Amino acid sequence: MAGIQIFAENREQTLELLRVGRDIASTMGTKVSVYVCKARDGADEYIACGADAVLVMPPLSDDEPLDAYVPVMADEAKQADPDVILVAATLRGKEMAARLAARLNTGMCSDCMALDFEEGEGILKMERLAYGGAALQRVTCTTRPVVVTIMPRTFEPAESRERRRGEIRELPAPPPSPVKVVGRKKKETAARDIREAKVVVCAGRGIDKKEDLALIRDLAEALGGEVGCTRPVSEEQHWLPEDLCIGLSGVSVKPGLYIGLGVSGQVQHVTGIRDAKVICAVNKDENAPIFNVANYGIVGDLYDVVPQLIEEVKKAALNQPLAE
Amino acid sequence: MPAIIACFKWVIDEAYIRRTPSGELDLRSVDFKISDYDRNAIEEAVRLRDEHGGTVVAVTVGTSDGTRGLKDALSRGADRAVFIRDASFDNLEPSQTSAILADVIGSRITYDLILCGEGSSDLYTRQVGPRLAERLGIPCISCVQKLTIEGDRITAERKVEWGIEVLETSLPALVTVTPDINSPRIPGVRDTLMAAKKEVTTLGKEDLSQACEPVLRTVGMAAAGMERRCIKFGADEPGIAGLVRALVKEGFLR
Repeated sequence: MAGIQIFAENREQTLELLRVGRDIASTMGTKVSVYVCKARDGADEYIACGADAVLVMPPLSDDEPLDAYVPVMADEAKQADPDVILVAATLRGKEMAARLAARLNTGMCSDCMALDFEEGEGILKMERLAYGGAALQRVTCTTRPVVVTIMPRTFEPAESRERRRGEIRELPAPPPSPVKVVGRKKKETAARDIREAKVVVCAGRGIDKKEDLALIRDLAEALGGEVGCTRPVSEEQHWLPEDLCIGLSGVSVKPGLYIGLGVSGQVQHVTGIRDAKVICAVNKDENAPIFNVANYGIVGDLYDVVPQLIEEVKKAALNQPLAE
Repeated sequence: MPAIIACFKWVIDEAYIRRTPSGELDLRSVDFKISDYDRNAIEEAVRLRDEHGGTVVAVTVGTSDGTRGLKDALSRGADRAVFIRDASFDNLEPSQTSAILADVIGSRITYDLILCGEGSSDLYTRQVGPRLAERLGIPCISCVQKLTIEGDRITAERKVEWGIEVLETSLPALVTVTPDINSPRIPGVRDTLMAAKKEVTTLGKEDLSQACEPVLRTVGMAAAGMERRCIKFGADEPGIAGLVRALVKEGFLR
């Protein structure tokens, strides 16, 4: 027995893991199965996008948490003996993956960023970040299956192909979970999603008070960009919602231009902007680590620099030829 | 009165990591710390003890380097500490750490509640808590930002992508905490002096019931190159105008 198994919380994540799973499966010469937890929803699409089998888990009652599925998945994995189990690294997915790995007595690569199956050696080589993003760790697993979690939006989604066939199979209902859901609170989400923004202006610890965020917003507006922030601004001061917190434990952005204002450049934050094309920083402290990862920098007080910067940006925008 | 265990890891402080000119990781001038979120776990354990009575045992696995961490954990309010120490416990991978913790906790420490940080500052795999719960066969709730105990039940608010799930389970249980749950104290001189008088139980490899071989092998650890050559401009008007010209040249402001 062999194969690749996939578990994700939603369609987008499932398609992404299907892309990864399909790639490894074709090198390994094996099949891909997808766990789904909402009846047969999406089964046909997943098959069209590369799944050879869809494993349908019965819906959970309202008070059962998602991880109630762990025993069902562990039993299925013990029977099918897959080579790899790919899990979308959502908050709940990470816990489920670790518990699955424990039940299967096997190794797990968390937050894998790249993976490659070496045909000759028959080894799956995986890469992940360590030390808050300061290091790249390469790992292999000596037991099977290897459990791999992948942060959503790391890979492109799989595309559907014509005339693929696959099996749809029902799995048994899970045993009652010892943990019960007694309430759910939806959070207010930020009006805008900064993950796809072309320009991100980031507020750091150098901002003295909440009202001063207006300055950051003005610059973002002048540049046609969005406002983001570092962890202290959202998690300690609660001045901005956490969806705008950029970094290892927040969101990753990949804008053309990132401007950090009063951002020191702790490695966890910098990891979230590593894919920015141009990084710009304004900070009072000339030794702030942000300057080591920036393309352009100004050593100065943001309260002096930003108003002038806004003026210059407006001037430059006026001088641009209309509609090129 | 709950018997609480807070697990912690003594880790390299990533802020001290440098990169050599050839792109290697430079760990020569690093300092160590209790992993960030584990401080929240200790703080929460102490907070719950102060509210309900009971005891807090801080438990760690590692090499003798971790000795300083024990004193730190005890000065943060834990009543006693258990140190599972061996020269080979360097660079353990999550399945080993959780197996060693389960071995010792399962056979030697009475507990109602186990608290862990959501993930460690160095490897941040977020596996040890959930794996430990599985090994001990107890319920697990991860990513918790609010926790209350009532009798033999706990209520936990767990972070999920769309908000918060409020969960309940009965003790014994394991909970992993996020940094939102509390603000860890900064121990004072008195705390440090008190810590020196507290009991530390040191155990070794010979006290474990089985060997724990690694299943996940690290085959490379390199500095993640993020350095860019920073062109600096003055904080005066010509400098700021120069920066904006550079941005225009890069194709922004169009």
